[in-house]
Amino acid sequence: MLDQPAAQLPVAQRTNPERSFAEEVRALRLGDGDVFRGEGILAVTKAILQSGVAYVGGYQGAPVSHLVDVLVESQDLLDELGVHLETCTNEASAAALLGASINYPLRGCVTWKSIVGTNVAADALSNLASPGVIGGALIVVGEDYGEGASIIQERAHAYALKSSVWLLDPRPNLPSIVRCTEKAFELSEATNTPVMMELRIRACHVTGEFLAKNNKPPPVSRNRRLAEPAAHDYARISHPPSTYVQEKIKVEVRQPAAQRFIVEHGLNEFLPGERSDLGIIVQGGITNVLLRGLDRLEIEGKVPTLVLNVTHPLVPDQIVDFCKGKRAVLVVEEGGPDYIEQAIHAILRKRNIDTKVYGKDVLPMAGEYTAEVVTDGLLKFFAQSANDIDLAKPRERFEAARAGRAEAQRLLGGPLPLRPPGFCVGCPERPVFSAIKLLEREVGKVHISSDIGCHSFATLAPFNLGNSILGFGMSLAAAGAVAPVMQKRTISVMGDGGFWHNGLLSGVASAMFNRGDRVLVIMQNGYTSATGAQFIPNTSGNRCDGETTSDIAATLKAMGVKWLRTIRTYNVGTMLTTLREAMSSDDKGLKVIVADGECQLARQRRIRPQVAAQLKRGERVVRTRFGVDDEVCTGDHSCIRLSGCPSLVVKPSPDPLRSDPVAHVNNGCVGCGLCGEVADAAVLCPSFYKADIVQNATWWDRVKWRFRMAVIGALA
Amino acid sequence: MMPITILVGALGGDGGGVLCDWIVAAAQSQGLAVQATQIPGVAQRTGATTYYLEVMPAPAAGPSVLALNPAIGEVDVALATELLEAGRMIFNGFITPDRTTLIASTHRVLAIGERMAMGDGSFDVGRLLRAVKERSKQQVLFDMDQAAEESGGVINAVLLGALAGSGRLPIPDAAFEAAIRHGGKAVDTNLAAFAFGRGHARGELAQVVREHRKRQAAAQGLEDLLARARRSYPAPALDVIEEGMRRLTAYQHRWYAEWYLNRLDTVHALGSTELLRETARHLAVRMSFEDVIRVAQAKTSSERLARVRAEVRAKDGEPIEITEHFKPGIEEIAAILPPTWAKRLLAWGERSGRTGKTYFSMHLRSTTVFGFLRLRLVAGLQSYRPNTYRFAEEQAEIDRWLEQIRTAGRTNVGLAREIAECARLIKGYGDTYKRGLANYRRITAAVIEPALARRMTPRAAVDAVAGARVAALVDPEGETLSKTLASIAAAVPSLRHAAE
Repeated sequence: MLDQPAAQLPVAQRTNPERSFAEEVRALRLGDGDVFRGEGILAVTKAILQSGVAYVGGYQGAPVSHLVDVLVESQDLLDELGVHLETCTNEASAAALLGASINYPLRGCVTWKSIVGTNVAADALSNLASPGVIGGALIVVGEDYGEGASIIQERAHAYALKSSVWLLDPRPNLPSIVRCTEKAFELSEATNTPVMMELRIRACHVTGEFLAKNNKPPPVSRNRRLAEPAAHDYARISHPPSTYVQEKIKVEVRQPAAQRFIVEHGLNEFLPGERSDLGIIVQGGITNVLLRGLDRLEIEGKVPTLVLNVTHPLVPDQIVDFCKGKRAVLVVEEGGPDYIEQAIHAILRKRNIDTKVYGKDVLPMAGEYTAEVVTDGLLKFFAQSANDIDLAKPRERFEAARAGRAEAQRLLGGPLPLRPPGFCVGCPERPVFSAIKLLEREVGKVHISSDIGCHSFATLAPFNLGNSILGFGMSLAAAGAVAPVMQKRTISVMGDGGFWHNGLLSGVASAMFNRGDRVLVIMQNGYTSATGAQFIPNTSGNRCDGETTSDIAATLKAMGVKWLRTIRTYNVGTMLTTLREAMSSDDKGLKVIVADGECQLARQRRIRPQVAAQLKRGERVVRTRFGVDDEVCTGDHSCIRLSGCPSLVVKPSPDPLRSDPVAHVNNGCVGCGLCGEVADAAVLCPSFYKADIVQNATWWDRVKWRFRMAVIGALA
Repeated sequence: MMPITILVGALGGDGGGVLCDWIVAAAQSQGLAVQATQIPGVAQRTGATTYYLEVMPAPAAGPSVLALNPAIGEVDVALATELLEAGRMIFNGFITPDRTTLIASTHRVLAIGERMAMGDGSFDVGRLLRAVKERSKQQVLFDMDQAAEESGGVINAVLLGALAGSGRLPIPDAAFEAAIRHGGKAVDTNLAAFAFGRGHARGELAQVVREHRKRQAAAQGLEDLLARARRSYPAPALDVIEEGMRRLTAYQHRWYAEWYLNRLDTVHALGSTELLRETARHLAVRMSFEDVIRVAQAKTSSERLARVRAEVRAKDGEPIEITEHFKPGIEEIAAILPPTWAKRLLAWGERSGRTGKTYFSMHLRSTTVFGFLRLRLVAGLQSYRPNTYRFAEEQAEIDRWLEQIRTAGRTNVGLAREIAECARLIKGYGDTYKRGLANYRRITAAVIEPALARRMTPRAAVDAVAGARVAALVDPEGETLSKTLASIAAAVPSLRHAAE
């Protein structure tokens, strides 16, 4: 067994290492007349403070993590304003947080990644939307759709429709995003309805500027508390018979009010154009792609366009006025089903307007509306609806670009090697999968139920381990009906983030209750690392104090888990024996292995400055890293297939007689010791060595070194 | 007025986000409308990340609508921190010869698929470079990874410098430098890297490309043998043969090198220089097979410590401690015993089921006197090696292999070369070695022997051996090899039984 990384903190002492947002925090303090510069999601954060929110909450997830992350670092500002911040343990609790606005005149904002987060929040969302709110309630959802998305591809739109929640989809520029955010609260209050604002990945990260306003301290807040709770009002409880009344109010009162508000405040934009016989209706979020597309066809400003910054509810009169007298209208709506297009069809049909509506017939039902996709759709639309517009030249250019790409691909002989995400250098989760691979050498393939989190990268090369992913914290539950039909036990992998988000109840409690004979591996690295290393209950306390909230092992014991082991992940050998034991033990209940190892990113962020300081002070520091003897390595790369560490690379063989490249450890190595562990556990080869470099050596180190070198020199 | 469009392809950790911040800040300082957005991917976790920026060429009156998505054929400047990522932007049609200035680093960071291959799995750099040159309008290409290292900075600052140097943006150098200063992190090294990148882009700096140096084996007292080789072999094969002789002398002894030449003579007699050269290369490698003695030799060689110190970047005067780990099993021990004992040990291992289970894990500190001494003693077994079981086994294997080459060579030189190439499969230690040898034997039984027995056409025989060899290097489980052998058998009716 090799030495383990030094300065490894016990889980209870791990603290949030996320980089500081000092710059962003300053931006949140800007006042009247200042120019705000930054990303879209930070602009939203500023806008909600300008709108006088009393409380903010959310669950981290790209692309909206920053909203809460930045506020976590803005505690002083929040204290001054009296804004309460809740870092929720899942989206359901974030949605339930909005319950404060049902009875009290409090503006509140919560955020999460959609579609997955909205799914988790759905129950609270329905129960919020039915009674409605008196304080403005805004839900900022990161529409994780298209290139770079990390989840299943579905639209949040469906939730807005079924729960009668209004949906904003602002044009992706900062002034528009900020205006929509501020208007959202007014709309919510004017219609007693929660409002959802969807922001796509690029919109969250888009840079820009807008004229800032002062932040508004909420009239009622933790700084200005209420003496009495709200009077009991059964109409505000989502319980029959109230629910029947509430359902009617939604459609008879709230929706018409919303449609009036949308028109009166000009939330949707009309872009004029000389071709009165044609028109385009587009989601606000897609506007820039559309306008650039029209530009590309040299007809920008020619076609009247209705920009829907509010995609639910639609305003029938507005749609009718726009379409009336037009030969053809194109609906540009990303993703499926084509809710908006269908609604427009219905509206026009009911008013007997025979404008031809194009949409998913010239544009694809599935997939991101990229520049190419939209341009292609526009060409088809104009070809079918207005062949008097001469698009020969632009079409030629477009086709030429496509032909060029084909040529390039022929030249490269593609496809090019992919770069799937993988574990970071020295990641504590990697050794667990190395151990599972070694286990499979002994017992054969095992059904592995994967989960959301960094560990899901094990489903990719080089491990290719995992049979299914059913959602965040669902891996144990997902094995429920697999385990009974398997001769070998199933292994479910779950992160500590997933454990607290959902796994504890949906997984562990259910498995215990049903006497599930399964194996669960919990990756305890101390943070939700995949989303930027946020706090979780087993991290050292939270942003408020240093007290650890909940310990996973203690929690499991309390729930009655009998077979429980906590293993340092880097000990591949021990991990292998423990997995073997779990797979073969006579215990018929749930067997849990807590695989403990601090997130290496977090650890590096923490210790790098410490080490630098020590070196500066001239203290003795031992730097450990690994290496490969290129004379001994024969270039089979089993070590890479069992590890995939980014710092374990290949280089040309120094041997004039060998052609295969040899393994090489580059200077990214943090000395976690896995490659040595794997070489040892898998009996690979004697190429690996560990080097401990003594910096600021003491006189004794030097004496020892000189003596050894003298003798060894004589022997060699 | 259309914006200047910039597409950036980077890897997690390259600092692409900071690069964009610098460009945005510099553009804003010039009163130019600018917009950046990104697809971070799973950035710090080895994934590829892309960034897209649009900058107006001159200050505009009203607000301009800038796009968030790059369009094929409409990228003015493409920046790539790595060569394959440049290739990817070309592959996706963004970089085009009529418009795009490509500013890219020429170094490669191999993707996992390339690294985990059992042999050389890296993508053809020649293809990448050709595409880079043919599919872009102008190029600024140099090893920015090396430049970053030499300047002590990070690659994103080098790239920013190269962008400034390319002169494609209406932004003065001073504005970029101001942006770096405003960033406030590692300002000096970033400015140095920036200047470096700009210098390269403007051709003021030339880069000394680090060429990869092969390490020749050292050996004395071979002059007469070398002379003999030069007399009897054609020049194109000599460099390989001489290296082989030096290696085998260092590995074993002068007589071993002599034996090497005698073996080569029988191949030379077949009259094909390429065959001679390839066989000489593989024969030298096979004759210097990896046993614990050779490993000890390598780890105690006089240059090794210096090499390790350089690799782990130990500064002068910094003591280092090197820990080697060995895990010999019954087979490794049997390998260095005399044949009779070895056979007994192996038989016992099989009976007791200890073979492949019992190992002796040792972590030996080769920088301590005692640790080094132990290694030295093992290395000292060199002269005793010819008496070992493994030595006998290897020589027998080698002779069988040479015999196949000779038999094939008399009628079908192509086949002989393919058989010679099969030596590539036999390498490594423990399981790797066993797997390689097993694959080699399967191919011998299923393809080579039938081929030598003329049960296939010469052409088919060559293809079959080549195909089987490639297949053996695809996956460690040997599934591809099984499929290939089956299909070969299917193609040649008389082979059916052989494949089973």
